[in-house]
Amino acid sequence: MTPVAVPTMHVRPVSWTRLSWVSWRRARATLAAIAAVLAVIAFYLVLNGERMRSTYATHLACTPVHSASCQFAWENFRNGYSQPGLPGVILLFLPGIIGGFVGAPILARELETGTFRYAWTQGAGRMRWAIAAIVPGAVGVAVIMAGFGALVTWHNKPLLDSGITPRLHPTVFPVTGLAVAGWALVGFALGVLAGLLWRRVLPALATALAAWFGLALLAAQIRMHYLPPLTTTSLDLSGKNFGIDQWWTKSGVRVSDAAINAVLQAIGFQQPGGSGKITVNPGKADPSVDPVQYLIQHGYTQVTSYQPDSRYWTFQWIELGWLTALALALLAAAFWFLRRRPA
Amino acid sequence: MNVLQTDGLGRRYRTNWALRDCTLTIPEGNLVALVGPNGAGKSTLLNLVVGLTSPTAGGVTVLGGQPAGSRAALDGIAFVAQDMPLYRHYSVADMVHQTRNLNLSFDTAYARRRITELGIDGKRKAGKLSGGQQAQLALTLALARHPRLLVLDEPTARLDPLARHDFMATVMTAMADDGVSVLLSSHMLAELERVADYLVLISHGRVRVDDTVENLLDRHRLVTAPTTAPAPDGDWQIIEARTTPSQTHLLVRLDSSQAPLPPGCESRPVGIEELTLAYLRETPASQSPTLIGATQ
Repeated sequence: MTPVAVPTMHVRPVSWTRLSWVSWRRARATLAAIAAVLAVIAFYLVLNGERMRSTYATHLACTPVHSASCQFAWENFRNGYSQPGLPGVILLFLPGIIGGFVGAPILARELETGTFRYAWTQGAGRMRWAIAAIVPGAVGVAVIMAGFGALVTWHNKPLLDSGITPRLHPTVFPVTGLAVAGWALVGFALGVLAGLLWRRVLPALATALAAWFGLALLAAQIRMHYLPPLTTTSLDLSGKNFGIDQWWTKSGVRVSDAAINAVLQAIGFQQPGGSGKITVNPGKADPSVDPVQYLIQHGYTQVTSYQPDSRYWTFQWIELGWLTALALALLAAAFWFLRRRPA
Repeated sequence: MNVLQTDGLGRRYRTNWALRDCTLTIPEGNLVALVGPNGAGKSTLLNLVVGLTSPTAGGVTVLGGQPAGSRAALDGIAFVAQDMPLYRHYSVADMVHQTRNLNLSFDTAYARRRITELGIDGKRKAGKLSGGQQAQLALTLALARHPRLLVLDEPTARLDPLARHDFMATVMTAMADDGVSVLLSSHMLAELERVADYLVLISHGRVRVDDTVENLLDRHRLVTAPTTAPAPDGDWQIIEARTTPSQTHLLVRLDSSQAPLPPGCESRPVGIEELTLAYLRETPASQSPTLIGATQ
């Protein structure tokens, strides 16, 4: 009764050309939905970008520079466009939402509706089917979001040129350049894996988004340490660079905030803890005294640590690198589970 | 060629064995009926055969020794799962085209002809078809692959009698035309009586009956004996006993058909349905049938 060992029959695999139709057919509705969402946001970005450019041009063209009307043109530009607002928040989450939205249903919907019993018992087999569904999805979200990141870069150019919002700013960096593709890819991979583990679309999507958000918070903490920050004693750091911290030294030794406070309070100013900013104690300070100049005259040196704008692409590559590695690890885990998981 | 061979096959989910010590050898050309109570392990066995699940113990080969789930096995087996999973939002034509693209060979002409015969509009969404049409579509997609083994998991459970009849007629036609072997799990005992020529009965995760229908009918008898009758000699195994005040009704298995009946006993042949029911009624405690001599 022991099954007789028979050499495994060699059957050629189902071609990728055929499987590509299967993938296209299942992806096209998702693609249409994404296109609709991105079109709305792109429309806003183009419109807002053009308006911002014309306001910025008015400011640049204004002479004499120190006149009240030119000051007004600058305020008009800065107040109108420096706050990212709700659209900025949506942009920030978009790579995760798009990635999760594409990734989560790929395995979860098959498992939820039972169609995996059809899809995975065809001649192509489940692994080939999964590769045909997952690989184009991953490449697709990365490419689409990279294109979208380029549009955000275009939109933000006046804010960068004017030194209002540096490219390394946490609201800009992850939605532009290469990192935006990495973030979409990680959202996608989280969606795929969560879909396989949950076997239902909505919980998988929720889990993927929550995990993605946690990761984004973590990345915002570690990003500014990809390379050791530079320090400068210049008081006039270009707004394109991203300032991290500020402190005072005397004779090359760091002076504690408490000590600085003590010096400042003596002349009626105070420095709230660690921020480097100096505020006036109402009614106590002599308005003709500049506290920073006062400290400098008394032998103190202000040191600023920052990441220079020139490191933007280096950081983009670093972020894309680890995000891609993470996404590939998540997808590898998904394939591993998929091969072993009893249906 | 054996379309299915299992050796000590078992599948455990956490601590619970869904199927255990399953050893079967099923030659090609049969319509194999797989019966058993709910949760007996039927679907587990079918999932193992089509490669959706891998064994915890033992082995399973199909189509003359191909490992279940291998490319050769997938290519030669078509599976129609319970509740006919179809992509609800796909048109019938898209389902056909997709199935063509998921397989090495697919008889598109056959699929189109069948769909036309069934009066199904190719542009309709699969999810909008009636239950009978969905079942026929799922079956058509499976048969257009011209498989060597067709595996059906309770295909007629949700169908009305007419749709059920049409479905089984399609299966029988494919068996006659294509020589496809069929492995079918079902609760429809009356229906199996007409079509099955091989019976596998699973209960509590173990194979209880595994033989051709012909052999089974040959080896089982319904015996009516007066309660006062002496115990019969020979290798009689009682599958089921029911006692009325004056008579005992026994369903017995004859391991050697020469065993003589005790005086006063009447014997008649048994049908597949009552035979199956008798085995299904067995409680797990009495899994090894008791010899009649031992009970009296």
